[in-house]
Amino acid sequence: MNSHQTIREWLALSAAGLLEPAEERAVRDHVRECAECAGALEALAGLSGDLGALPPPEIPPGLAARTSVLVAAEMEAAADRRRSEWLAAASGVFAWLMALAAYFAGRAVGGTLWAWLAWSVLFPLVAVPVVAAVLKSRLPERRGI
Amino acid sequence: MVFEAALARDMAVAEADEVARLRRRDPAALAGLVERYQHRLYRYLFRLVRNPAAAEDLFQQTWLNVVRQIGRFDSRSSFDPWLFAVAHNAAIDHLRRKTGESLEECGSEARTAAPDALEAAMESERAAILDAAMAALPAVQREALTLRFEEGMKLEEIAAVTGAPLSTVKSRVQRALESLRERMTARWRKEDLL
Repeated sequence: MNSHQTIREWLALSAAGLLEPAEERAVRDHVRECAECAGALEALAGLSGDLGALPPPEIPPGLAARTSVLVAAEMEAAADRRRSEWLAAASGVFAWLMALAAYFAGRAVGGTLWAWLAWSVLFPLVAVPVVAAVLKSRLPERRGI
Repeated sequence: MVFEAALARDMAVAEADEVARLRRRDPAALAGLVERYQHRLYRYLFRLVRNPAAAEDLFQQTWLNVVRQIGRFDSRSSFDPWLFAVAHNAAIDHLRRKTGESLEECGSEARTAAPDALEAAMESERAAILDAAMAALPAVQREALTLRFEEGMKLEEIAAVTGAPLSTVKSRVQRALESLRERMTARWRKEDLL
């Protein structure tokens, strides 16, 4: 048997529809015999109805359109950043392959260690500034929110 | 009833399709979702922060965060609680940044209904008084009420959005309703609306 005090604490949850079935039955049984709790439950139920029927706030005109444009721009900037990262990674792999190719080319023509070193340095020296220039031109401008 | 159920099913399928396309960074899917959720999301944020400009900023911040975090969304679950959880986090950060604002303490007493509003119909007066009473509740209690009564979320969904245990959500709803009843009863008596 639930006490009057326990039921009183359940009244708001009953009005909000958040009680377990057994608790809800206990509340219904109690309010049939307790005028005080019945009145409180009625007021809380009315309040719950009023809360569900509150007029919505007026939404600022064009908010959805402005938000879509802002977020689409952010998506585009993020895609640019991802492309630049891929490009940088691909360029690194390319420079490494060039150095490797230079080694084998040096060996094939019977070059010395110094010739191989010269070739190995020459390719990255050309590739790195080119990659840096490409990245600089592609990096998106910082965009504020 | 059958028509409504079929409509709800179609809406859910359309929404799932839009969410899947958003994961592939489709701007049209983004526009569709923003349009679909604009009223519910703005209302939720407005109830929480009680400021139109802040609600608008948070609305935009929420969608930016949605796009950044969409990879973490589990497509087997419902999009609604996830979206509102993203909005919740943005709003809570905003409220914490505001000096002197506590999420658990009562808000400032809101401006009561203007004199011309008091001359309006009784229903709108009651709504205005209720709105003012809600403004005086702590933010977490306002949030629990709007998610339960305006969004119609279940207890588990509210817990998922707010990141609070079920018992805490129940406690917030209970305290908020009881506090509102006390305030409303006093005001309605004063305004002679009872």
